[in-house]
Amino acid sequence: MTGKYFGQPVLRLEDKHLLTGRAKFCDDIVIPGMLHAAFLRSDYAHAIIKNIDVTEARKHPGVVAVYTAEDMGDYWKLGPLQVPPPFAIKGAQFNARTLPPIAKGKVRFSGEPIAVVIAESRYIAEDACEDIIFDAEPLPAVIDLEKAWEDTSVLVHDDLPSNMAALVKQESGDYEAAKKQADVVVSHRYVADHVAGAAMENRGFVVNWDERTQEMTVWAGTQAPLPLRSAIAGRMGLVENQVRVITPYIGGGFGPKVMTSQADDVLLPWISMKLNRPIKWIEDRRENFLATTSERDQVHHCEMALKNDGTILGFKDIFYHNTGAYDPYGMTVPLNTQTHTVSNYRVPNFYTEIRMVFTNEMVVTPVRGAGRSEGVFVMERMMDLAARELKMDPVEIRLKNLLKKEEFPLNTGVIGQDFVVGVLDSGDYKNNLEKCIQMIDYEKFRNEIQPKARKEGKHLGIGVVTFTEGTAVGPYEGARVTVGNNGKVSVATGYSTQGQGHFTVFAQIVAEQLNVKVEDVRVITGDTGHFHWGAGTFASRGATIAGSAINSAAVLVREKIFATAAKLLDVPEDQVELCEGSVCVKGHPEKSVSLGDLAGKANPMRGAVEADVKPGLEATAYYAPPHGATGSGACAMIVDVDPETCKVNIERFVLVHDCGTVINPLLLEGQIQGGVSMGIGNAFYEKMVYDENGQLMTASFMDYLMPQATDMPKRMEIGHNVHPSPLNTLGLKGVGEAGALPPPPAFCQAVEDALYEYDLDLTESNLNPSLLYKFKNEATKR
Amino acid sequence: MNVEGEYIFNGPQQAVYEMFNDPTALATAVPGMQKMVQVDETHYEGAIFLRIGPISAAFEGVLSLTDVNPPESCTLNIEGKGKAGFAKGVGRVKFTDIGNNQTKLNYSGEVNIGGTLASVGQRMIDSVAKSMIKSGCEKLQKTLEERCQQK
Amino acid sequence: MAQLIKIKVTVNDTVYEREVEPRLLLSDFIRHELGLFGTHVGCEHGMCGACTILFDGEPVRSCLIFAVQANGHEIKTVESLGTPEHLHPLQEAFNEKHGLQCGFCTPGILMTVVPFLEENPHPSEDEIREAIDGNICRCTGYEKIIESVQAASEKMSSGK
Ligand code: FES
Ligand code: FES
Repeated sequence: MTGKYFGQPVLRLEDKHLLTGRAKFCDDIVIPGMLHAAFLRSDYAHAIIKNIDVTEARKHPGVVAVYTAEDMGDYWKLGPLQVPPPFAIKGAQFNARTLPPIAKGKVRFSGEPIAVVIAESRYIAEDACEDIIFDAEPLPAVIDLEKAWEDTSVLVHDDLPSNMAALVKQESGDYEAAKKQADVVVSHRYVADHVAGAAMENRGFVVNWDERTQEMTVWAGTQAPLPLRSAIAGRMGLVENQVRVITPYIGGGFGPKVMTSQADDVLLPWISMKLNRPIKWIEDRRENFLATTSERDQVHHCEMALKNDGTILGFKDIFYHNTGAYDPYGMTVPLNTQTHTVSNYRVPNFYTEIRMVFTNEMVVTPVRGAGRSEGVFVMERMMDLAARELKMDPVEIRLKNLLKKEEFPLNTGVIGQDFVVGVLDSGDYKNNLEKCIQMIDYEKFRNEIQPKARKEGKHLGIGVVTFTEGTAVGPYEGARVTVGNNGKVSVATGYSTQGQGHFTVFAQIVAEQLNVKVEDVRVITGDTGHFHWGAGTFASRGATIAGSAINSAAVLVREKIFATAAKLLDVPEDQVELCEGSVCVKGHPEKSVSLGDLAGKANPMRGAVEADVKPGLEATAYYAPPHGATGSGACAMIVDVDPETCKVNIERFVLVHDCGTVINPLLLEGQIQGGVSMGIGNAFYEKMVYDENGQLMTASFMDYLMPQATDMPKRMEIGHNVHPSPLNTLGLKGVGEAGALPPPPAFCQAVEDALYEYDLDLTESNLNPSLLYKFKNEATKR
Repeated sequence: MNVEGEYIFNGPQQAVYEMFNDPTALATAVPGMQKMVQVDETHYEGAIFLRIGPISAAFEGVLSLTDVNPPESCTLNIEGKGKAGFAKGVGRVKFTDIGNNQTKLNYSGEVNIGGTLASVGQRMIDSVAKSMIKSGCEKLQKTLEERCQQK
Repeated sequence: MAQLIKIKVTVNDTVYEREVEPRLLLSDFIRHELGLFGTHVGCEHGMCGACTILFDGEPVRSCLIFAVQANGHEIKTVESLGTPEHLHPLQEAFNEKHGLQCGFCTPGILMTVVPFLEENPHPSEDEIREAIDGNICRCTGYEKIIESVQAASEKMSSGK
């Protein structure tokens, strides 16, 4: 489906401002009289607070106020459960322990805020933090997931009998029965370690309470402006229209910015009202590592039952999921893992168990990939293990078990993050893989390139994996489309944007429907003053959910344009058509009215109108899917490994994906490539390391290694398959996280293949040269 | 983090041991040490200024001696705290007369660190600790020589 | 309050005289004293490159320099390139090749590439990769940034 704008590689409208430094980000906001906040954070991961002495800090010149939990009185409350657990899952247990805005009584992770200083400048606020004397009695920290689950563990929340945050068992079919029929059963333990979202712009929050208008304005780098607005209003006892949340330009989101009800958005509005002054807080990089949410961190115990010919009979996965010190985001991440473990292969019998544990680490919430990465990782590793056991080719065993396109829609029997049983809507998974191996010349590599390289002493290896990406989940998004008196169109949606290109793709959708120039469509995202319904940016749902709502609104506006124009031009409705920027009578282009004039006519200022008048060329629409749309793909890479240094070069990288209808192929490539860089980062560079005392040892870019330009493959070769989703009119599926999913398992498989002289068994998704070296040394030489 | 090593002092065991139990000698030996005062028989309070990678900050702390077994061994316990975090360490030191008027010091210990020190400085702390111990021992050797001469 | 030091700095051809605290970072000075918000701060410790500016023509990280050190020197920020109405060819190329997503890293990358292309007007792909290796971009995966720089070098050398 391509049109004049839809489906075209339209250049981004937002770039001009970003490229010239004119785009306004959170820290660029300046309000006269603005104060600055800095948080004092706990050095201890687990400790009883004995005393916080802020006397000296309060005396510090330039300091306006200092608050601890003690000073907050009744306003101090535990935060909300931002995502409730899915009660649809029978027998699911969940212990809610939500985030305290600022520590009271106890600290439970290092970096937890314990005091906030408000001062005339950020420099002064940070100085004054150093004047605070924090007296605490350290407790042993809970770090190891499997040990944390045991009865003997130290407790993160001592009012609970254990560190269990949740226990969820789901089964489709009967795994144990299937196991009895199996020829072979393979089992293994896998680790998917902790990584950071690490958007280049840290979090930020600016708030201004205007006492005279009794209105509060907030600028925040948030992925969830409406939930944030509602949370602030609720806490402050204000009605929603007294709080306006504006998302300025945001320097990347990747998941963690969806969190609300943290120290900044709980405390600063309250303090702004108390002091009657605007306040700004901009997170620094160390704070971002310590106290902004991050993800992964699971330990899986997997078992797979197969027939000798490689047919999967069943899969069992019991996994520990680290939720950190609190669990305000419910079970989104581990549920995503459950649904993504078996969503591309035919697994007739599947048992999956989440053991979600509290630890003395920062809270875990989705990061690009969001539980899917872990599911894809363990499933793909288990496929490799089974192939090895059965002496099959890794591609062959996959082709054998991949779901066929005739099987869709397919009910997975597993309830996911959107609280409904998963349904795989469409796609051709086998073709993804076939295309992928064709693009990377799999046969040639196996038969010619690799043998030759081995003869020359080179260690080349190939890895081929498949994946699905559950995207575009509910509940809903909405939008309003309006034609202005100048003929230009405005679109307002509650959805917020962090660089994905929504200003352009949303404009393309509207431009196509209304036949106006793309640059004549002005999109406003994430400003609750402009549109005040919506859930937020997560789960690769922007283009699909908000995009579908925008499309529907645009269709309604088009209908209104036709009705109004037909009346004005005095012809039947089916006799008018859209010319660029105007409406004309079919076959009589001279009989026309411009959209701007028509907008004026649709909003008469005098005279009588119909009783059920809906003024203006404007419409609002919402879109709510019954369940998510599932994208799919396959990925292959060829690596060159130096067995001495364990340095790995990715020589070729191929990714085939299917995200349904494509709105903008150029931006689509950007989304995939960005995802891939995160996936490669996860596979071989990035890792958050906590020591046994709960100290984060990687809180800067010196220790947390971000993938750089020279770490990436020379070319990311991307292949496209298009199987439109039947779930929405445009046939869209999300793609934001796709690229991030397959690199870790493909990387492991390729490295194992390259170091063929070793019986290498890579069980961690986050390798690095030294870890690989360790694995290699532990492996026996064949 | 674990530290372990040895150092050979040119001097008799008793003198070396005494030096290790003398706060003023220790205070001058530790780079950045700003003060060290004795609180009681086995406890000292001190302040130190440290530079570790991107961090430079003052720490205050308590040093205590346990398992005192003159002139053979003792255990040094350190607990320090500052704006840039905290450190807690135990070090066992052992002295052996190896003849020739020489005394061998064996040390082994472990240090736990927290706060900025851990999250930003941990990569450097290993080498910083090693170089501090080395230069500390060298200073002590000088003190030892002076003391022996005075006698 | 620490004493204030008088400095005179030329930024994008305008001379600014200000009194600043000796510890004020140049990045904060550019952003908050001069209101030139195009220079971004991603890490504050010299690792990400978002704050890169030209200091007497050389690309440097403004988060690693104090404002007082800029006294008497000449600085160029991203605002010295093009405007939204008239983009610099390098900026045009980034738009055409989709070399940016969130755009937070972009000013630092542009200011790294400007002197690079002056020195090496026809760089190879590898040379470009090396040149931007110190700039972290979380969004793009770098491929399109490299394509953008290549396209810019062609544009600029053909005088367009
Ligand atoms: S902010 Fe200066 S290098 Fe990151
Ligand atoms: S475009 Fe977002 S960090 Fe580079």
